Amino acid sequence: MPEPIVHFDSVTYTYPGTDSPALSGISLDIMPGEYVGVIGLNGAGKTTLGLSLNGVVPTMLSGRREGRVIVGGLAVEEYPVREMAKIVGMVFDNPEFQMSQMTCAEEVALGLESAGVDFETMRRSVTEALNLVGLQGFEERSPLALSGGQQQRLAIAAVLAMKPQVLVMDEPTSNLDPIGKREVFAMAATLNQDYGMTVIVIEHEVEVLAEHADRIIVMDGGRIVLNGGSAEIFSRVEELQELGLRVPEATSLAHLLGQKGHWKAKTPINSAEAVRAVNEMLKVGA
Amino acid sequence: MSMHTAMPTSLIPGTSIIHRIHPVTKILWVVVYVILAFTTQNVIILYGMAVFAILMALLGGVFRPLLKAAYLIVPIGSSLISLQVLAPAVEQPWTPIAEVGFVTLYGDGLYFALVLLGRIVSSMLLSLVMVMTTHPSDLFLAFSKLKIPFTFNFMLAMTLQLIPVFQREVTLVLSAQKSRGMKGSGFSAVLPSFIPVFVGAVERVQQLSISLESRGFGSSGNKTSYRQVVARIQDWIYGVGGVTVMIGLMVYSILQPVWWNLSDIIFFSPQTVLVAFSVSVTVFTSVILGALYISFRKT
Amino acid sequence: MSRRAKHGFPAQIETDLAIKVEGAHYVYPNGKVIALSEVNLEVKQGELLGVIGQNGSGKTTLTKLLNRLLQPSAGAVYVNGLLTTDRTVQEMSAHIGYVFQNPNHQLFARTVKDELEFGPRNIGTSEDDIAQRVAEAVDFFGLGEYIDEHPYRVSFPIRKLVGIASVITMKPSIIILDEPSTGQDHQTTRVINSLMRRLAEDGTTVICVSHDMPLLADVVERVIVMRNAEIVADATPREVFADSELMLTTNLQAPQITNIALKTVYPLGGPIALTPQELAADIELRLRKGKY
Repeated sequence: MPEPIVHFDSVTYTYPGTDSPALSGISLDIMPGEYVGVIGLNGAGKTTLGLSLNGVVPTMLSGRREGRVIVGGLAVEEYPVREMAKIVGMVFDNPEFQMSQMTCAEEVALGLESAGVDFETMRRSVTEALNLVGLQGFEERSPLALSGGQQQRLAIAAVLAMKPQVLVMDEPTSNLDPIGKREVFAMAATLNQDYGMTVIVIEHEVEVLAEHADRIIVMDGGRIVLNGGSAEIFSRVEELQELGLRVPEATSLAHLLGQKGHWKAKTPINSAEAVRAVNEMLKVGA
Repeated sequence: MSMHTAMPTSLIPGTSIIHRIHPVTKILWVVVYVILAFTTQNVIILYGMAVFAILMALLGGVFRPLLKAAYLIVPIGSSLISLQVLAPAVEQPWTPIAEVGFVTLYGDGLYFALVLLGRIVSSMLLSLVMVMTTHPSDLFLAFSKLKIPFTFNFMLAMTLQLIPVFQREVTLVLSAQKSRGMKGSGFSAVLPSFIPVFVGAVERVQQLSISLESRGFGSSGNKTSYRQVVARIQDWIYGVGGVTVMIGLMVYSILQPVWWNLSDIIFFSPQTVLVAFSVSVTVFTSVILGALYISFRKT
Repeated sequence: MSRRAKHGFPAQIETDLAIKVEGAHYVYPNGKVIALSEVNLEVKQGELLGVIGQNGSGKTTLTKLLNRLLQPSAGAVYVNGLLTTDRTVQEMSAHIGYVFQNPNHQLFARTVKDELEFGPRNIGTSEDDIAQRVAEAVDFFGLGEYIDEHPYRVSFPIRKLVGIASVITMKPSIIILDEPSTGQDHQTTRVINSLMRRLAEDGTTVICVSHDMPLLADVVERVIVMRNAEIVADATPREVFADSELMLTTNLQAPQITNIALKTVYPLGGPIALTPQELAADIELRLRKGKY
């Protein structure tokens, strides 16, 4: 059996200067190549979970941490964050706050420069990364002149240049318009499906997660309350609603009809499944 | 909100011979210029340097932008001349040249004003040409090659990029407060609005530092560079040449005292001084009035 | 003074429209980009209007013309019958409130309470009224435990609510919400949803710029779609979301449930459902009819 690429063992973490833990007894395993969605209300601990994967928590932000986090076989707290960057890449919610250089190429090359990579290899990696995210030819452009979606893709390219095995995205589309959202989600799907990258996406956009994620982790009050396959988790409509969360509208529809005893098919989590099931039902009924 | 904030690249893109000079050479030239300008009082050398800078601008294809950027010379020059003619910043005795009502004009003042102006003009023009023909990233690369500490360099680069961003943020914050009926464009009313900008800056820097670390960026250790500049023979020649010429001129000036300060040779006739003074005062006053008018019209 | 003579628009008009935009045109100061191209718009008092479109389509420019943060390069904008040109933002703020997308741009007071009192005080509301409005806002948004906190010490979602509340206490007759639900979770979005309904019930005209289609679908009666500096559609949410060509050319997407309805009950004469409840009810009806 393959080793999990992410392993949390009873992790509890409290931010410095606060009393209640942001993470409580978190235990979870993520397998290589999985696409995992993390949902939960604001303050549930999703961001803290994400930051624990590359060591920002606790190494950069200090605070009390119990338990172990092992990513790519390494105990996260034993390495500086920039070492972990070679295994785990992180993209954050504000695209502009991740920009720091004069040109896109330099933005992507930042990590490589620090790692002392030779010039030829660096040039190649930069071009590859930019091509991968659909920003070919953008080398000399200024990052601040890009659209939000492009900036976010640039951030992804910068992360990819380090060739990590895991990509973590913390609400990557909340500041983007519909085009931007679509670009970023498509990127994540490509990286996962075509390149076998383990992708962990923290989001509120449940419809998209239902479409792409293999697994959903639901957090509440610093704990993991649900953890399972997307279809299974999203069909637990009442539990999710009690937690104050949304389910995909397709699932909500099935749930409402199911309550009156009308829904016989499997619970749909995307549009196509719902359409098929409804049309079947209407044919029989009519 | 993705309002496209452009980077403040002062660079005028091009591939001229000036553009291709190594950035370290260019920095060296600026240093050479400034040292020479501020140690000589020879107007021929000073204005010669200015002319040379203009020649470089022409070679680099940045003459027009240079003219636009150098507009400051007008208020600076006119104020210098006006004030120096009235009260020269040289040792007494002063040579009175003319009298206008109760005001005495001094000839030494005109010479010295030209010296001061020459210093500013030559340094400014050359610095502008160098900056306009160099990509900011290459400049920062040059700084790091000159062993300027990495952290300082990085902070300088970040500040440069963040200027337009903060301009935008300040505008946004002021808009938000005006939309809530905040009155008064006086400074004290506006000041509390800077808190959001400050907080925004802090949040931004926090987020950025986490993002940079997460991408493997570190401030220590052996670094390579994405931007490459190759030092060619020409760059060495230009660099060494520039330093040699400067030292030569300084040495020559010292050995030939009469060349150091031409104020004993060059005499301005009273009419010249009078004309120079009146023109300068007129120009200076109109610049001040114009500036005041514009700033009041905006409110 | 000479400006008024130049543009020829009366400073005030008799109208019961909340907003009247006549041929508004806006070009950026550098003269190169047309941000808004001769736009016409009429909004009645008490309407609940959604504005959608990609970034750069002109949405923000339009809303900034409405609250006078910008002045049209040509054309006129009337808010409550008053021409915005030649008036100040502060003057207009008594009529039209603007909630910025990023609350950080607004908040600067020492406590949340001060923040809520700032706006109404600026426009000369009586202290008694201010106290009452603040109490109402605190109650509605659930800000009780945060009143004495520094605005920057509360979490971002709460800050966003404070930002909205601090404009609500000014009780403008028209309010613009710029992306109120971005970055918010479902619970907070529901609060915003009920806020918008409450405002509409009270007779406030609400203009909501948003990418959150499900939110708009549930709440607004009218949607304006913008693209390339123009209004390309102005209709009910149903009409807009059902227009698949419009959605395609503007790169927008209807809510998932609407797409489902369009492929199932709509061809059979059913509604263009905007919520799961609506579609479920229709399907149920059909199934019942089918059984008899």
